Amino acid sequence: MNPEMKGRGLVAGSAHGEALVSQKAFTFAHGVDPSTGVVTDVRSDVRGSNVKGKVLFYPFGKGSTTASSWFLEAVRLGNNPAAIVTEGVDLSAVIGSVMARLIYGRQIPVVSGIPRAAYGVLKSGTRVSLDGESGKVIEER
Amino acid sequence: MHLDSAQERMMRGEVGEAKQFAIEIATKVGDAVGADELVPIKSAHVLAHYSSLHDAGVEVLERFADSGGKFAVPTSVDPASIDLQHWRSFGITEDYARQQFRLCDAYAKMGGMRCWTCVQYQVCNFPKEGETVAWAESSAVVFANSVMGCKSNKITAGMDVACAVLGLTPRFGMLLEENRRAGVVFRLGLKGLTDLDYRSIGYFIGRGAGARVPVLSGLPPSVTSDQIKHLGAGAAAAGPVTMIHFPGITPGSKTVIDATGGETVEEIEITRSALGEIEADLNQFSGLPDLVAFGVPHLSVNELGELAGMLEGRKLRKGVRMYAYTSSQAYDMAERTGIAEAIEQSGARLSHSTDAEISPLKALGFRTVLTNSAKLAEIVSSEGEVKVGYATQREIIERVTG
Repeated sequence: MNPEMKGRGLVAGSAHGEALVSQKAFTFAHGVDPSTGVVTDVRSDVRGSNVKGKVLFYPFGKGSTTASSWFLEAVRLGNNPAAIVTEGVDLSAVIGSVMARLIYGRQIPVVSGIPRAAYGVLKSGTRVSLDGESGKVIEER
Repeated sequence: MHLDSAQERMMRGEVGEAKQFAIEIATKVGDAVGADELVPIKSAHVLAHYSSLHDAGVEVLERFADSGGKFAVPTSVDPASIDLQHWRSFGITEDYARQQFRLCDAYAKMGGMRCWTCVQYQVCNFPKEGETVAWAESSAVVFANSVMGCKSNKITAGMDVACAVLGLTPRFGMLLEENRRAGVVFRLGLKGLTDLDYRSIGYFIGRGAGARVPVLSGLPPSVTSDQIKHLGAGAAAAGPVTMIHFPGITPGSKTVIDATGGETVEEIEITRSALGEIEADLNQFSGLPDLVAFGVPHLSVNELGELAGMLEGRKLRKGVRMYAYTSSQAYDMAERTGIAEAIEQSGARLSHSTDAEISPLKALGFRTVLTNSAKLAEIVSSEGEVKVGYATQREIIERVTG
């Protein structure tokens, strides 16, 4: 177990929550129902889970450039994750989070640069906290 | 991120509220991704369809338009969620259309080209090789980087309008030469490729490349820009791909070695069995569908002509709808040249200014959709509400016509 991981902080803010851990490319566009927060994507390994209030881990984004607006709609309806952690930079998560701050005054930190293999030791449901400035993700014991 | 004095003035709100909002978005995103400055763009492409922007997106676009936002560079727009001309006859409700028209009005107020297409590069938005652009629409970004030799990141909703209003975009990612080098080689040795193969090849690359830029060798010299359009769309639907080097086609990449810069990188063979797995994954049923959808991304007028030829003398079976989606411009040409009539004689319909993946398919009563588009198959199955079948255009026509 590696209780602390260090990535690159992309969007500032601190968050706590249960981890929701996906090992597959992820998208909010057509993949998460913004009116519930439930993952609908049949190719997602976390299909049926709810992103609301979770610290969401996935390796990369995929697909449509509308992902940031699906994300923003989830924010508008209060069904957004507490934070997002990725391996590669998912621009739609960054843009969605920036817009969430500017439009709805919500802080949803984003961290990237934590490889699948590293965050893969976390189980969905483990409590984690993270800091979107320093990029630190800590497993709460 | 370093801002020059003109940009500082925008930030302080001295050049209007819309530019201030836009530069706040652009600099925050730029800071997040490690951009050093904002650089000029030659064109923009933005999203304004209700199905994906939702009410939050209407708020954002109206905020730009109502605060005096105007596009600073030639700006095109992705398809709407409804056929803007014939929406009533496609069964769209007034309430749904109203939200879409709010987006249309806001977009028009800002001075955008009203093309409503995902293939703006075949219709109205023609930047030159080497130019920096800020485009939304994942399939068009792949085309811009890979075929046109432009430089674009995959600009997502919200940021797209900010860049268009500023005429600027943060410099990072695919705007930097070092990030455009290929990091994985896909080798294709297969011959006699079908329409479906091109889409499946793209999808396979999108899945396998991860965050690396791929190079694809082995495409036949006869490959058309339409085939590359669909290949790129499949790739972008399956993963984060924003560029594929096609040796001999992509400016600056005559060979695989040009694309990789001579680095030794992983090589992946595209086999018939790999494509078979993609087809099996994207194909969820084999019966008669409620809807056949062609044209994700939009069909060119050439492709509409081919479709008309394949439908000649055939009639659509009872209970099956067939929609061919295209740009308003290709629609007009098809109308004037008899192609539209030839297609519609079979019972199929042309639909313009919208597209299947951003239509309210479930609300329109469709439970099953059959398509040769990997992008549509991926998106429809992601939502999990409508079942999708995936087959070649020829197989589909044989299945659904008598």
